[in-house]
Amino acid sequence: MSFNTNLEEVSQGVITQAKKLGCSDVSVVVTRNHTRLIRFANNLVTLSSSVVDTSIQVYVAHQTRRAVGVTHDTSPQSLERFVARLVDSASRLAPSDDYVPLPSGPFEYPEEQNYDKRLEGEELVEHAHQAVDAALKAGAKRVAGSLQSLVRRVHVSTSAGVAGDDSSTKILLNVRAFTEDNASGHGLSCASFLSEFNPEKAGRAAGEYAKMAESPRQLEAGAYDVIFTPTVVANILPLAEAASAYLIQSGLSYFSDQLNQQVGVETLNVWDYGVYKGGLGGRRLDDEGVPTQKTEIIAKGVFRNMLHNSSTAKKFGTKTTGNAGIISPQPNTVVFGEGDSTLEEMIQETKKGLLVTNNWYTRFQNLRTGEYSTLPRDAAFSVVDGKIGEPVAGFRLSDSVLRQLKSIHLISKTRNWVEWWEVETPTLAPYMLIKDVTATVAY
Amino acid sequence: MSDSLDEDLCVAALDEASRLGCGYAEVRLHFNTYTGYSLRSGVTEPTVLVDSRGVGIRVICGGSLGFGATNVLSRQSVVEAVNMAVKMAKASGDGGEKYVLSAEEAVSDNWRVNQAKSLYELPSETVVSLLRDVDSASSREVKGFSFPVRLLRIDCSTEQKLYMNSEGSKISSVVPRVSFHSVFVGLRDGERVTVSVPPGYSGLGGSGGFELIEKLRLEEYVASRLTEIATTLSSTTAPPRGERVDVILGPNVASLTSHESVGHPFEADRVLGREAAQAGESYLKPGEYNIRLGGAEAYVSDDPTIPNSMGFYLYDDEGVKARRRRLLQAGYVSELLHNRATATKFAGRSNASARAVRYGVEPLIRMANTYIEPGDWSFEELLKDTRRGVYIKSFMEWNIDDKRLNQRYVGLEAFLIENGELKASVNRPILEISTPKYWSSIDARAKDMEFYSGMCGKGDPMQGAPVYFGSPHIRLRDVVLG
Repeated sequence: MSFNTNLEEVSQGVITQAKKLGCSDVSVVVTRNHTRLIRFANNLVTLSSSVVDTSIQVYVAHQTRRAVGVTHDTSPQSLERFVARLVDSASRLAPSDDYVPLPSGPFEYPEEQNYDKRLEGEELVEHAHQAVDAALKAGAKRVAGSLQSLVRRVHVSTSAGVAGDDSSTKILLNVRAFTEDNASGHGLSCASFLSEFNPEKAGRAAGEYAKMAESPRQLEAGAYDVIFTPTVVANILPLAEAASAYLIQSGLSYFSDQLNQQVGVETLNVWDYGVYKGGLGGRRLDDEGVPTQKTEIIAKGVFRNMLHNSSTAKKFGTKTTGNAGIISPQPNTVVFGEGDSTLEEMIQETKKGLLVTNNWYTRFQNLRTGEYSTLPRDAAFSVVDGKIGEPVAGFRLSDSVLRQLKSIHLISKTRNWVEWWEVETPTLAPYMLIKDVTATVAY
Repeated sequence: MSDSLDEDLCVAALDEASRLGCGYAEVRLHFNTYTGYSLRSGVTEPTVLVDSRGVGIRVICGGSLGFGATNVLSRQSVVEAVNMAVKMAKASGDGGEKYVLSAEEAVSDNWRVNQAKSLYELPSETVVSLLRDVDSASSREVKGFSFPVRLLRIDCSTEQKLYMNSEGSKISSVVPRVSFHSVFVGLRDGERVTVSVPPGYSGLGGSGGFELIEKLRLEEYVASRLTEIATTLSSTTAPPRGERVDVILGPNVASLTSHESVGHPFEADRVLGREAAQAGESYLKPGEYNIRLGGAEAYVSDDPTIPNSMGFYLYDDEGVKARRRRLLQAGYVSELLHNRATATKFAGRSNASARAVRYGVEPLIRMANTYIEPGDWSFEELLKDTRRGVYIKSFMEWNIDDKRLNQRYVGLEAFLIENGELKASVNRPILEISTPKYWSSIDARAKDMEFYSGMCGKGDPMQGAPVYFGSPHIRLRDVVLG
């Protein structure tokens, strides 16, 4: 199937076949991605790649028995075999209580899409060079990173009279800069529109952080007030993921049993958007063809809404929020509400604290209680009596999400888009100052 | 797969790369099929099928590396992908890393992992019925804990490849894999815990057919492990903290340490900084070899050729014949994991560590089956020889920094050891230790070996590679727990 084959025609063919095989419900999501990638390390491009890929996700319900599959093997004969195998798999299962008829269309979809035609042909190498040069100019000795552009077209059709399209583009830069003594700094630039993309700024931030982080001292274990950058907030507080009704009903979320409860400070607000205008990615229809929407997840610190597909909505006696995932609802675009503080105010407010600019390897000890630990990565600094102090290293942060949500002291007005290795869902996140976070060190 | 058609496509790609002046080209037709069966608290979840079929092409043009891929398996589309790969390589220009491959023999071979009970022909009912039996056996109350949430999953996959390169190699392979995973939420008097069996979110399984799962006797295994875990969850006894004690680590914990703090940092692309932006770097630096990382009892190997292992292969995705790699020998750095490009930089030969997990991604240096080598003690001898310490049998939470120097494992099942005997269970001992200290503290290794399966993450875009990690019981002398 070429990149320009008629998506609706392919979808209708799948629906017709599955219905002939006895399925009552069929949804088809055809996704076409053109991904270009530049990877660089030690100031040099290490790989340039271009991948064109079409995938077809098919959901079938056969007498309430359900199966879902994705195939990247899109020749007509292979697709026909795949659908037959999928229907056969479903028909062999026990009837499912989770079965709900697919939502009936047609629907009207919002106009808004985060799509920039210029990204269809944009050459990436020069942007990578800009990031590298800016980091070197800021004092780094070597620079590594990845720069990816994505042009995506999605078509959703269902047996319930739904048909809709979505298009989106992204350009994502993740850059790390290193100084002579291997101190490192991190920068991101994530956008759907080329006009919002700034590789030079990301490279410069990485270089400047790296330079500031030279010759760190070993941090002492203890409790600290910690200022987290948007990059870290988006990773350690995956609140929209935890709001998935599937995870909540499975008992694998710290938001289980917390609906309408005060889970955080009153200044905390979080939404899921289908498409955030001018933001990063998103979709205007979900995998069941339902229009996506703005859903209030946390309002003034109260956990207000779970994210639903039609199946979880039935379980909880409510309506879908347009977040299908056939099995588990998924967030589209996470948006933290802005606060009224600034990074400078946060620093001034802090007597004994830390500024953590990046992290990785967040692992949960207990998914239900939200206890986790994570490792700061790249530049981190002590903050003493309202000023940035010396760089620090060699520690991890060990805490619980639920405790942290109630210990947020300040939220910044500035928010940045985050999507990279450690944050899969596009997230608009602020800086946060969180009180009394436990830092531990290795023996 | 139709062999003649597939080979024709590969030849067309290599011809096109040659026509465009590439010094080197390789083509990988890469087909993956996956079927996932799961049960959530006794309810059958939808079966999940994933088929991935396409071609990945790497070229070296003007010394720069380019990669292209397509899942449209027509001659025209494959030729277009070659052209795109060449265009991308040339676009790197003077700012590109010069990519030179080590000299390796051209190979022609055809290999597969046999399966007694074919995964592809496996009736869904067989798998779901087994999961139902496991669910029934694990749904009873244990030591006051009920397990109302029980997530059970069996993954079946088959990876089929045809690899050809411009040096004359042609290798086809078929590897079926199967694994079991489970997660439980336990409740007792308002207390809620999440545990997995096996602990640490690891899995059981390997390469082969469904017979590998049947041999595990999952019904008995999961029920008995859940009972053992529930027993220790009841503990409120604090572990000895802040004092020097001996620690015996069970294979569940120790196996992951070999993967995290030797396997990853011994990947030569990390050492050279090529993965710096994503998966990170290494505490090893180029040129720093034959250095001492641990004590005389520190032995770690990685071996792709272990039959029926999760990371099994006979040739890597650069066409190099696989062999065991001894990474750490008596505490000294012995060998790194190499692909053909890093081997060149280290003036050596590749040890066949390049793997790509699907058609649309480049081969990276990956572990296969990493393990602490067995010693000559029995577990009972280790225990008897320990005056005061803690036995950490299993864990749940872990992490490590991106240079692999600072690692942490939080115990799930753990017991005090006093005068050579296991005593009361202790609550969540934390081993948070630097890598050199860890490998220097090992003074004894048992004969027993256990392997766990997992998916190792690396690369951008992320590639989850099937691996084993293994270990016997080991003892650490004089370490401090948190």
